[in-house]
Amino acid sequence: MKAKDLMVPLQEILKPDDTLKDAANLLRIAQRGEEKIGVKALPVLDLSGNLIGILSIGDILKAVHPAYMDLMNLGSFAWDGMVETFAQKAAGKQVRDIMTPKVITVKEEATLMECIDHMLKNNVKRVPVLNKDNRVTGMLYERDVFYEITKSMINENTKGEK
Amino acid sequence: MTQEAAAATTQVVMGYSFWIATGIFLIAYAFIVSEKIHKTVIAIFGAGLMLVLKILEQHEAFHVEELGIDWNVIFLLISMMVIINLMRPTGVFEYIAIKSAKWGKGEPFRIMAIFAIVTAVLSAFLDNVTTVLLIVPVTILIADALQVDAMPYLISCALASNIGGTATLIGDPPNIMIASKAQLNFMDFIYHLSPVIIVIMVFYIFAIKLIWGKKLKTKEELKQRIMAMNENEAIKDPVMLKKSLFVLAMVLTGFVFHGALHFQPATVALFGAGLLLLLSKTHEPHHILADVEWPTIFFFMGLFIIIGGVVKVGLIKWMSVQVLAITQGNMFATSMVVMWFSAFASAFIDNIPYVATMNPLIVDMAKQLWPDLSGLSLLHHADLMPVWWSLALGACLGGNGTAIGASANVIVVGMSEKLGKRISFGKFMLYGMPLMVMTVIISTVYVWLRYYVLKI
Repeated sequence: MKAKDLMVPLQEILKPDDTLKDAANLLRIAQRGEEKIGVKALPVLDLSGNLIGILSIGDILKAVHPAYMDLMNLGSFAWDGMVETFAQKAAGKQVRDIMTPKVITVKEEATLMECIDHMLKNNVKRVPVLNKDNRVTGMLYERDVFYEITKSMINENTKGEK
Repeated sequence: MTQEAAAATTQVVMGYSFWIATGIFLIAYAFIVSEKIHKTVIAIFGAGLMLVLKILEQHEAFHVEELGIDWNVIFLLISMMVIINLMRPTGVFEYIAIKSAKWGKGEPFRIMAIFAIVTAVLSAFLDNVTTVLLIVPVTILIADALQVDAMPYLISCALASNIGGTATLIGDPPNIMIASKAQLNFMDFIYHLSPVIIVIMVFYIFAIKLIWGKKLKTKEELKQRIMAMNENEAIKDPVMLKKSLFVLAMVLTGFVFHGALHFQPATVALFGAGLLLLLSKTHEPHHILADVEWPTIFFFMGLFIIIGGVVKVGLIKWMSVQVLAITQGNMFATSMVVMWFSAFASAFIDNIPYVATMNPLIVDMAKQLWPDLSGLSLLHHADLMPVWWSLALGACLGGNGTAIGASANVIVVGMSEKLGKRISFGKFMLYGMPLMVMTVIISTVYVWLRYYVLKI
């Protein structure tokens, strides 16, 4: 089993100058296999198709969470309606300002263990998959890796790699 | 004193090592000012050069008081940082800030004035950078809650922290350095500097009222957001809080009496840090020690060695001769030149290297004025004391002039930018420079009145 066998082939992508409002909507309705059930992260590609970042739902949460809250324990002093105010402010921001620019990727030919290794060591749950020319060809999601693992657990006859 | 006496004590041999040391000093300071390379890197490398070129022996750099690292400054800084790092997670600073905002009844200017006073008082006892790091996040939260511009609060916070820091020995690094060099104790600073700082704070509050008072308006329902906050929720670790307050009270008492008890301030602080570490029952001192601002500490150590080098070769002595030539030995003129020159110098360059240079310069100047005296009778000469206070006032308050004048300003501007509230260099100076000049004028009147008219 290789990364390319498990990944969701690239369908939706984000552009750096997309607004956060559009990006968030796309995350919500993105195709996952056959269904439009939303995804937790999408790659950000520039005009020439190079991977320049990744936008995940965690980044959207961060976009409404003012940075000063990270510096001290101020959670108890937030007021009702604070998130709504910040969400309205963040809606017009561009994807390039919110995305995570440092992207952990795997190659199409990476084995399942290598994928898991990357996910655990870098604490990421969604990983863009690159082909030999470093083009994004799909996204590998933690959930699909999990399903693959459970297959081996349940069907004990499947031993070793395919 | 006579010209001949001055000439007799001012023989500076401008040989090979003089020019090497002067070169290292000037190039290092130029790089520090240019900010092309991190100042700590420059300081360590410059110190390394001083040693490797044998301008200064390692023994002199590490163990000779007049030439080497001032360990009193180093350990005082480290110990206070450790105490604060242990106190931070208790939530006491969030508590103080929220309590202050509620005390301001959600009125934007009232909150601004109270925050300025709280920041000044905290800065007098903690270092300014720590204080603004603790106050800025809450300040922006409050400004957001009230839907007012956070910028005036942030600038005011930086300015107030530099003013407050001037009041005590431990408030600002220049004071720590001056205290150590001039062997002045905590109560000397309270007695000589705190009164003028209180006067300055009163003027400062009126000034910010004039500048921002009318612009800051909010709605009644937004004030309720502040009043609804429960400051008690800030306290995350009441047990540790009690221990911290106990140790802090002990350390402050120790500072008050350190002169009488013949303890150096660093002894008091180091004991406090050790005790609080012990009481915290931490098994992992790594992260507490890792949070000490090592770049600042190493910046100090490097600078002390660089300065040691130029003191040894006589550059500082030569400079002090030039200062005396300007002031003609008139001590009031000397105080005024030191204060105003320090203020404008500190507005544009880091006041730490500045004071590191001025300290030995003033000592050398005193040696030329009173060649027969030494030790405390020299350092605490009645005519020299106002010069020390002028240096402290000028160097600390001068930091308010520009966004780069003091570390607190740099931190506030840096944090603000990161938090999406950019304060430009010009914007900061627009408020900082006039307020700085105001505070130095008040200090001028104070020094003149207290030491040259009333002579008390």
